[in-house]
Amino acid sequence: MLLAVVQPWPEGKQPTDAVLMERLLQRDSGALEALYDRYGRPVYSLVLRIAQHPSSAEEIVQDVFLQLWRSADRFQISRGPLEPWLFTMARNRALDFLRLKREKQRRREDSDSDILPSAVVRPDPEGDIDRTRRAEKIRALLGSLPEAQRRAIELAFFEGLSHSEIAAATGEALGTIKSWIRGGLLRLRESLEEASS
Amino acid sequence: MRNCEQLAPLYEEYALGVLEGEERAELEAHLASAGDPCVSGVAQARWVVSQLALAAPDAQPPSALRGKIMDAIKANGDSARAVAPIEKPKPSKQGAMFPLWAWIAAAALALVTGYTIRQMNNQNDQLAQLRKQMKLATMQNQALQNQLDMDRMVAMVMMSPDSIPLKLMPKDKNMPMVHAYLHPQMGVAITADQMPALPSARTLQLWFVPKSGKPVSVAIFRPDAMGQIALVAPVNVPANEIAAFAVTDEPAGGSPQPTTPIAWMAQVN
Repeated sequence: MLLAVVQPWPEGKQPTDAVLMERLLQRDSGALEALYDRYGRPVYSLVLRIAQHPSSAEEIVQDVFLQLWRSADRFQISRGPLEPWLFTMARNRALDFLRLKREKQRRREDSDSDILPSAVVRPDPEGDIDRTRRAEKIRALLGSLPEAQRRAIELAFFEGLSHSEIAAATGEALGTIKSWIRGGLLRLRESLEEASS
Repeated sequence: MRNCEQLAPLYEEYALGVLEGEERAELEAHLASAGDPCVSGVAQARWVVSQLALAAPDAQPPSALRGKIMDAIKANGDSARAVAPIEKPKPSKQGAMFPLWAWIAAAALALVTGYTIRQMNNQNDQLAQLRKQMKLATMQNQALQNQLDMDRMVAMVMMSPDSIPLKLMPKDKNMPMVHAYLHPQMGVAITADQMPALPSARTLQLWFVPKSGKPVSVAIFRPDAMGQIALVAPVNVPANEIAAFAVTDEPAGGSPQPTTPIAWMAQVN
């Protein structure tokens, strides 16, 4: 069953991400719990999709939230919202895991894994589009793309492959892959901007 | 060298991590020396790309994960609830000149203080335990409420005169039948009883098969502890474009396309 857990907040209303991050800086573990309740599920869904292994996904998600706890001072709400920052960090971690799995002989380099995502800017931070609606929009958009184009974007995002790696994996010409990905991302941007307006 | 405007179409590809070779080097060199418009363009592209995360099939994290994370930060000793280190008093230069009665009084005070601190710690532990229990009860209540909401939605779809009832027949005759109700606005509701338990690494995935094209994922789900399924999931195409609904057994997290034979299926049109 699909169940969401909501952490009650003493004031009876949900604090914003900015307030929670401020509290995180003051070492308030309740703020981390509230952020986990808010983002744990989409972050876990993303990581599980990339790692394809529940116990590994669990470890990665734990790692992501511990990193959030430890690096709260490196996040600036003025530079962008928390959600994409968190998604980017989770994706980086999960792709690190995937690459390690592919190249077992290489040892994990702390400097790579500790890289925090750079600033992200949401075009309309005040937009009142909830995550479910955005998810529906994005799934619908990907579903509307030709299968091969959708596959190319998924290989890039969920498996961390580059243009030439995708071309090799799919047997398509490099130019075709570039064109598919560029076109798909353009449509994604337009769709999100349209949803934000 | 290209300018900001010429490089702008590459921002999303850069954020996605697919750019390589000269294109990547050129963009990075440009960003290193570029002004705000380019840097902010890449930041916007990162937001766009990050939203692809929402395309991942919805999955519920294990219920113990939240506790593990909180235990980990407490184990590190950097939780806000941790007791602040007590500053060591500087040795007094007058110490040797203290009379005996002062030492006895200080020792007695230390004993009383120690006892009081211990009592306070016990009370704090009890309080923390109570908070934990309250939190658990709140989570359980919320879970039950969510379940109730889901059951209500399922009932609404099932009872709507606009819904098309479908029977997803099992390929394995030992499996129970899955009932589906396709509503033009509310999506598809599916229900089943006496479903066998699934291994933790597997999930069931519901697909609709369009009249032309490949199956499209609708939802991933697992039977509950009682072997029951009750959920509603959105379907973003009109019923007359759907040829069938099918359920397959997939790795946890779901698959972009079915990887195992169809386990249940119902023709729509």
